[in-house]
Amino acid sequence: MKTQDNVYRVVHRVLHGGMIASTVLFVIGIGAALRRRQHVPLDAAWIRGHYRLSSIGHGIVTMDATTIMMIATALMILTPAARVLVSIWAFWVDRDRKFVVVTSIVALIMMATLVLAGAGLT
Amino acid sequence: MDYSFGFVATLFGAACVAGFLGALLGVGGGIFIVPTLVLWFHLPMKIAIAASAVSVIATSNAGGSSYVEHRITNLRVSMFLEMFTTFGALSGAVLALYLNEHVIQLVFAAMLAYMAWAAFSTRNLDDERIASGAYANATPDRISKWLDLRGSYHDEAAKRDVDYVVSGAPIGAGISYVAGIASGLLGVGGGVLKVSAMNGYMNIPMKAAVGTSKLMIGVTAAVSSMLFFVAGLVHFIVVGPVAVGTTAGATAGTLVMNRLESRWLKWIFAALMAYLAFEMGRSGIRGARG
Repeated sequence: MKTQDNVYRVVHRVLHGGMIASTVLFVIGIGAALRRRQHVPLDAAWIRGHYRLSSIGHGIVTMDATTIMMIATALMILTPAARVLVSIWAFWVDRDRKFVVVTSIVALIMMATLVLAGAGLT
Repeated sequence: MDYSFGFVATLFGAACVAGFLGALLGVGGGIFIVPTLVLWFHLPMKIAIAASAVSVIATSNAGGSSYVEHRITNLRVSMFLEMFTTFGALSGAVLALYLNEHVIQLVFAAMLAYMAWAAFSTRNLDDERIASGAYANATPDRISKWLDLRGSYHDEAAKRDVDYVVSGAPIGAGISYVAGIASGLLGVGGGVLKVSAMNGYMNIPMKAAVGTSKLMIGVTAAVSSMLFFVAGLVHFIVVGPVAVGTTAGATAGTLVMNRLESRWLKWIFAALMAYLAFEMGRSGIRGARG
């Protein structure tokens, strides 16, 4: 059996880094939200209103709780996807071609799901 | 919704419990998070499901990170099964357009009930096989042999290294595909089925199955979370305490899991599956009656 030390190390670093970064941002965001104690609407339009680049920039400058937690959520969601992508690289470095193919198939199916969802299939 | 200290503390506490049990059993914990958000805080179902999907990633990142570091996770097995589970999730999302959800719920309920019984009836088998070294002496199937699917981890309860050879890769792949469908179609049950497939049919010890499933569930949850994010259903203010709570709970759970004897894990796992089967069956029967 190949040692796979490289793959384990890289996957651990990505997961650990993603977890620490998003948790720190979430804690800052929760603190900011509790300090202001605002009333928060629950509709999708209000949430999507924070997606504009100008809102994100303004939110970071003013330490807006929703913006900080939005960035934390995005980081958290992207961590497993990043884990799959760096695994392809790590298997490639280890010259483990079979698992470069296997992991690439996983990445392709993930992308296909997003594309089909974007097209309104789901 | 008013953002108060009580709201954050309650959400954090419930998420801690979900994260702890999730890390112990290799499951996402959505069955705890969704009812908490809907029944206690009266949040809309879609926002609760979206928050639950993100919490599954939180518990997968925290639990997976620890299990990968301690080599309890089998990365090759996880990559192999992820092919089928992600394809299953995609199929589930498409099937949702054509199939009657309540019939599917009843099928899954029957399957979970069978697996709960299988886990309960083999509750002592894991420890016996670890003690006798039987996990290392299995004959690999052709796929497992070709992909070199085997592994080893240090069992703190048994105080020894446990080697194992994977067998039954085709049936494991089939159940992982079904687990993906369950996640894509019903939003729950993916982790439970993956652990059952690995431990029951692929000659993978319970703890290695838990560690491997913990890593795998993050990928399926990431895809659904991206869809919820784009649709504007991920409410960041709600997700914050849930994510931090599940991360804390999962981190604590990973410290405990490897110290427990496998039979206790199987007891808790069988109970959780029986509960899920009951809830899914009840919901399916109610829906079928209209």
